[in-house]
Amino acid sequence: MFDLALLWETRELILQGLWNTVWICFLGCLVALSLGLVLAALRLSSPRLFGYPVACYVELCRGTPLLVLLFLLYYGGPGIGLRLDAEIAGVTGIGLYGAGYFAEIYRGGFKSIPKGQLEAARMLGISPWHALIRIQIPQMLRLIVPPGTNQLIILVKESALISIISVDDLTKNATTIVNQTFNVIEPYLAVALLYWMIIELIARGGYALEKRLANRQPRHVAQPGDTAHAHG
Amino acid sequence: MPTADTTTTPTAATRRTRGEAIVEARGIGKSFGELEVLSDIDFRLAPSEVVCVIGPSGSGKSTLLRCLAFLEPYDHGSVHIDGQLLGYEERGGMRVRARESRIDAVRAPVGMVFQHFHLWPHRTALENVSEALRLVNGLSRRDAEAEGMAMLERVGLAERAGHFPESLSGGQKQRVAIARALAMQPRVMFFDEPTSALDPELVGEVLDVMKQLAHDGMTMAIVTHEMGFAAKVADRVVFMDQGRIVESGPPETLFRTPRSERLQQFLNTWRERHID
Ligand SMILES: Nc1ncnc2c1ncn2[C@@H]1O[C@H](COP(=O)(O)OP(=O)(O)OP(=O)(O)O)[C@@H](O)[C@H]1O
Ligand SMILES: [Mg+2]
Repeated sequence: MFDLALLWETRELILQGLWNTVWICFLGCLVALSLGLVLAALRLSSPRLFGYPVACYVELCRGTPLLVLLFLLYYGGPGIGLRLDAEIAGVTGIGLYGAGYFAEIYRGGFKSIPKGQLEAARMLGISPWHALIRIQIPQMLRLIVPPGTNQLIILVKESALISIISVDDLTKNATTIVNQTFNVIEPYLAVALLYWMIIELIARGGYALEKRLANRQPRHVAQPGDTAHAHG
Repeated sequence: MPTADTTTTPTAATRRTRGEAIVEARGIGKSFGELEVLSDIDFRLAPSEVVCVIGPSGSGKSTLLRCLAFLEPYDHGSVHIDGQLLGYEERGGMRVRARESRIDAVRAPVGMVFQHFHLWPHRTALENVSEALRLVNGLSRRDAEAEGMAMLERVGLAERAGHFPESLSGGQKQRVAIARALAMQPRVMFFDEPTSALDPELVGEVLDVMKQLAHDGMTMAIVTHEMGFAAKVADRVVFMDQGRIVESGPPETLFRTPRSERLQQFLNTWRERHID
């Protein structure tokens, strides 16, 4: 029997878990997206200095389970004087871990921009910095929307691991309800549904963004007659 | 040949410096690893001079242009743009690579047009043309776009201003690329096979724009396989083979009475391919 009343009674725990999962994932993904961009941009603009360190970082992220990273931060942190709240450890863990993946996704995006476009920019006197933010990053972002969306989804799902370092997220609170009520199916199904909703939102956001970026129509521009002055 | 004395472009300054080279390369050499691609090249462009560079594939034509623009650092010799050494500076009696900002400043008079256009696909034609005006010259968006429109008009593409590169034909893309280079008011333009990536029926529109430029007095170095164009427009034709300049002179001389066997061969091959 599916007991809806049970879910209603425990709604506060479920909502608290939802809220914690949402904000921790949001901040964690934000860190991952931006730190990843910094890493990829460093690697791109001076490969000799940053190529190797960033590559090592990426390999470390790929080679370490998120859970181990969370343990290191939360339980190992105090050993080096780093005392983090479980939530902050969660944000940091997801951020650092995701950054490695995003750095690699961004790199793929950067790599598929033909080098000639940058040479054209150089020949016009456009500085490497301007070329990065006006020419490379906008094009790269367009290219990485699908793999980036995918990676965000994976991060949100993996975020369930923060329950193990005692964050009251969706997964942990569902378990708490299970332990209190001895009902297994309802709480876990409910949180499964909630995870699925978050992920569906991200996926739709991704599609919308992809469409928006791809479908730019010819823009109306002022014709010579309307402009302040036109040279002959 | 193309007289500079038409009304529009050559400035008083251009005329004053006539006789002094805008681009002066002496003894430049370039290797990629073991492979010597340029050896001991002297190359000079006087104001309003149009020079076409021809030669077989792999002879180093692109590399020469790229070295003259320092997109590829040359190993030996020197390139001066408007009297300034490009790419290197003396420091403590040693020649070291100059700072990027210095390189940008010295090559500012040079505009470049590539075989594959290299437009920025996420920007409209007008944005492609006005981008550098905003970023480099610091013009407001409004002024930059007004200036950009003027450049697009010059290449006959004003009505395509709002289009993205993907919706332009090859010939139109190349004309936008030319307008983009012109927007920075270069004193000399380098073209690397500007029509080689185009369908044959689109070649003409690009060559027409270039002819007009030559007619307006623009100094140009053009790597091309368009012998007809070279014969008509060039003041001088340079024939390269295996990283060296083998022959150089007015097109009539070079095409009618090639001295070297390699140029004769090259021209014969070209004729065989084009007369059937
Ligand atoms: N970045 C590079 N690294 C290594 N070798 C290169 C590089 N660029 C050019 N080369 C080599 O240098 C030689 C000259 O090349 P270049 O592109 O200058 O010839 P080209 O005359 O422009 O030929 P084409 O008519 O085919 O464009 C070729 O053998 C080419 O393989
Ligand atoms: Mg070439």
